[in-house]
Amino acid sequence: MAEEKKIEKAETGPDFDRRGFFVRLGLGSLSIAAAGTAAFAYQFLSPNVLFEPSPIINAGKPESYPVDSVTLDANSGIYLIHAQEGFFALSAVCTHLGCLTAWKPELNIIACPCHGSKFSVFDPKKTPGQKIEGPAPRPLPWLRTWVSDEGDLMVDRSTDINPMQFVRV
Amino acid sequence: MSDQKDFTAGMDSNARKSPRRVVFVTRRTSAQVKVTDEDQIQTYPEILFRAVVAIEVLTIALVLIALRFNAPLEGLADPTHTPNPAKAPWYFLGLQEMLHYFPPVVAGVLVPGLVVMALIVIPYFKVNIEADGLFLKDREKRLRIFYIVAVGLSLFLLFPKFDPRVEEHFYVAFVPTLIIAGLMILASRSSPQSSSAFRRYLAARPLSYWVMTWFLFELVVLTVVGTFFRGPGWGWVWPWQPY
Amino acid sequence: MAKESTKNAGDYFDELRRTRVWRSVFRSGTGSSTLHRALAIQQNVFLHLFPTKARRRMASFSATWYLGTLTFGTFLILVATGIPLMFYYHPSVPQAYADTKDFQFVVSSGMFLRNLHRWSAHAMVFLVFAHMFKVFYRGAYRPPREFNWVIGVVLLLITLLLSYTGYLLPWDQLAYWAITVGSNIASAVPVLGNKIHFMMLGGNAVNANALLRFYVLHCMILPLAALLFVAIHFWRIRKDGGLYTHQSEPATIASKSTSTQPAGEAAR
Repeated sequence: MAEEKKIEKAETGPDFDRRGFFVRLGLGSLSIAAAGTAAFAYQFLSPNVLFEPSPIINAGKPESYPVDSVTLDANSGIYLIHAQEGFFALSAVCTHLGCLTAWKPELNIIACPCHGSKFSVFDPKKTPGQKIEGPAPRPLPWLRTWVSDEGDLMVDRSTDINPMQFVRV
Repeated sequence: MSDQKDFTAGMDSNARKSPRRVVFVTRRTSAQVKVTDEDQIQTYPEILFRAVVAIEVLTIALVLIALRFNAPLEGLADPTHTPNPAKAPWYFLGLQEMLHYFPPVVAGVLVPGLVVMALIVIPYFKVNIEADGLFLKDREKRLRIFYIVAVGLSLFLLFPKFDPRVEEHFYVAFVPTLIIAGLMILASRSSPQSSSAFRRYLAARPLSYWVMTWFLFELVVLTVVGTFFRGPGWGWVWPWQPY
Repeated sequence: MAKESTKNAGDYFDELRRTRVWRSVFRSGTGSSTLHRALAIQQNVFLHLFPTKARRRMASFSATWYLGTLTFGTFLILVATGIPLMFYYHPSVPQAYADTKDFQFVVSSGMFLRNLHRWSAHAMVFLVFAHMFKVFYRGAYRPPREFNWVIGVVLLLITLLLSYTGYLLPWDQLAYWAITVGSNIASAVPVLGNKIHFMMLGGNAVNANALLRFYVLHCMILPLAALLFVAIHFWRIRKDGGLYTHQSEPATIASKSTSTQPAGEAAR
């Protein structure tokens, strides 16, 4: 106990001279300033307001979609599909590199013109949106669909849901 | 092809035996010749660090101002509605003040054009380089020219009304002219042997100094008037009067 | 005490500076010898516009009040704030006004950037005039520096034009009418006035074409012109024998030998 009380003054603190102190002070402040600038720059560069349309789409009244129909809304990039089981929406944007796909009723598929990916729609052996062939890595995602209070079909382009969830009206 | 007459004693390629005159430095025409041997310092770190510190201080001052005061922003541009008064940025307000008295050709084109040209030619006049006190040589002749110019300028500023609708004379520009003319008269009555240091200082000022100081004085006065003393319709207001 | 010396961050940094990769980028190495300090200037693509040495009197504050340096400093601030401002500004009518409003309320740090840009612009105009008057009253325009004075006048005009073109960009009442008045003065030039007015605005009135032209002038053409003339201005200072100094100006830097090396550096 007594030995620990003997503190040698020479061991307290790192030893650098006045110049070293000011160099550290300067470099320290510079790094704090740089870190602050980086943080503010990142905040500045990520926009707080987007000049883009809302991801919520009003698809209209369910009655306007006959059974077994696939309707493409090219402006918003979605397929509104009225299957036997009910309504659902698929993203029309190909999961490969973002081209707008096309519905081919004679072949019962959705096909992408860019690199030849094909997705199934009404095939009973496959999930709608599942890839049949082509370079696309993932199936076409199902989008969150619901009926609004006014009775309109609403689709949220920004939210994917698990497949086989139909909206019954 | 080469003109034989121009070669005098410099034909020999041995410059030490037959030196060739390269430059003849006249009195006070070159700014270089006085100090031949002077201490030198390294650009880095001496000069660079001083510059960096100066710029850092400037940046801090401007950042503090930017944090405290907001840049102005008025309503959306409306071509159908001219605000009253419609003022230019502050550094052009001196010009806008002049536009009140003179037609645009004079105030907007002639005067700025002449000012720019006058600025450019300053270093090409021998009288500016020698920079002798204005009234220390040819005093009588120069004093006469001075009175003619001063009176002429004052009449020009005070009397002719270019625009009959403008009631005022160009008093705003006349006052600085009067002050500078007064100082020049004092300078003409002073000499390097005068009693007060101020009069000795004035006596030694060259013509370029008087012209430039007059210009600086006018610039400041006209800009201050345009900024603080002009209100709706470019009428005279006092700075504390809201409009 | 530990048997071997403990390394701190400085030692790691010095080791980094001895690596091949570092030495391939920064060739001259560091040190406080006169040679190293000269090389720091001479081997640097940006700095070798300056001489490696300068006369002691040139650094005196009372001589120049560092006004030229400060003017250049405001120019740097304006470029550093102006470029970020370009990220959120659409030079179209009336989007430009909405974008300026967005700077005040929507964009992170937008208000600060815009304020700093505006006040630095006013400061630069003031400083460039002050610099000109200071150079004149010192007599630093005399031969052999006449042409550098002319370059300076050109830079003054470029500064005023930069400020003038930038003034229109917010597209508010202040901007619109200030530029309308200014461009009408241009049409007062005899003979060519109306042509000049038409070309300047890209039309007969201050509208979308004028905004776009002023934007291109303000963000591209005039800054490049300014950089070009600033480079010539600095080069001429050097070639004309450095900053002009009066015999009477004090040498403010205390005399000290530049060849002493601190003991730590000598060990490296």
